[in-house]
Amino acid sequence: MLRSVTLSLLGAAALATTGLTQADEPLKVGMSGGYFPFTFVEQDVLQGFEVDVLEAVADEMGVEVKFVTANFSGLFGMLESGRIDTIANQITITEEREAKYRFTEPYVYDGAQVVVKRGNDSIQGVEDLRGKSVAVNLGSNYESLINELPYADEIDIRTYESNIEQDTALGRVDAFVMDRVSASQVIKEKPLPLQLAGQPFSQIRNALPFREDDAELRDRVDTALAALREDGTLSAISNRWFGNDITRP
Amino acid sequence: MSVLDFDYMLGLLPVLLRYLPLTLEMAAAGMALALVLACLLAVIRVLAIPGLNAATVLFISFFRGTPLLVQLFLFYYGLPQVFSALTEINGITATILGLTLHFSAYMAESIRAAIVGVDRSQTEAALSIGMTNAQLMRRIVLPQATRVAVPTLMNYFIDMIKATSLAFTLGVTELMGATQKEAAGSFLYFEAFIMVAVLYWGIVELLAWLQRRLEARFNEAYQR
Repeated sequence: MLRSVTLSLLGAAALATTGLTQADEPLKVGMSGGYFPFTFVEQDVLQGFEVDVLEAVADEMGVEVKFVTANFSGLFGMLESGRIDTIANQITITEEREAKYRFTEPYVYDGAQVVVKRGNDSIQGVEDLRGKSVAVNLGSNYESLINELPYADEIDIRTYESNIEQDTALGRVDAFVMDRVSASQVIKEKPLPLQLAGQPFSQIRNALPFREDDAELRDRVDTALAALREDGTLSAISNRWFGNDITRP
Repeated sequence: MSVLDFDYMLGLLPVLLRYLPLTLEMAAAGMALALVLACLLAVIRVLAIPGLNAATVLFISFFRGTPLLVQLFLFYYGLPQVFSALTEINGITATILGLTLHFSAYMAESIRAAIVGVDRSQTEAALSIGMTNAQLMRRIVLPQATRVAVPTLMNYFIDMIKATSLAFTLGVTELMGATQKEAAGSFLYFEAFIMVAVLYWGIVELLAWLQRRLEARFNEAYQR
């Protein structure tokens, strides 16, 4: 333990004089590890759609991939402070994020979806959320999607660090909003009593964000993604996890 | 859903046990470093060393006055934006440093109280029979102060073990982080969190038992 403390302090001293990001450094990818089925852990094994995609990307680039799992709220801080190169956690391209980060081309096309407790038929879509309480993940784009609705001030928006599905199933909130694909997957495979409420209401595109000063790495990842799209790897990974292809618009 | 899934819980146990050493290592390293720092801070306060004393008061005030989570985020995500070399400090090290600084502020105060609590007449008596200051500290004050400080220091150690559960926000998957991820994958929250609660509880009970034995030893001299 003390050795690792000393080592990383030494490392900090050494780094003050040298630069970062060599060509053959591993690709450091942050994810929450708690977002079924994109990134999740079962019996200590990290898996999911994002894991497979990023492993394929690194393979294509000829580098190692290193996954770092942290609470979602820590992920952008890690990206900012240079501890990871990018985030693979179904990150949606938004205006605010585009102003701050360089995104790859989208590799997931999906929709925002309202989900309610099973049997709650009073909510049939986003327009029924007036006067209701809605859970969204803290810092996610669904938070801003709800906030942008013309009647947003009539919605009781609750932001969560995690477990929005559970709180909806328990009836503490009337609904939660996340992407259609994982919502359907959770309903299909997990024991929570939930149901989709109506159709998806907004198209979302997911991509990998990189820091402004990391545009070169972004380009290399982009090239790899394009190759994987070309040779059908992306579609195959999507079919394996979702039974359909969410990597094309 | 209403019945506990015991098979899942049993399967979870070996997984969580794998993360127990990291949790204990971080707490133990934090405790060792915090003890050293706290003794230093306490001595500065007791002797009221000019200059250093004011700095110590400020240190204690800051680290007691702000939440541990704020301090961790400040060091891990905030400072590297100003000093880029600090990104090389990994999450485990940052957690240990955070625990050390945070808890040493509390521990310094309880060590100081224990030292000051030794009756002044004993100091006078020791000095009057010709003991040096060092002898006085080593043979009279510290043994008594240690006995008084042990229960509160143990309390801080117990607190520290539980505080390691914040490390997941810095990307360190320790006991609680592993549990959160498993629960998010299985959606079996009750089973997962019961399991981890029992684990923490077990460790703390073990420590409480050790503490009772330690206290009994220190109290031997006071039993007639």
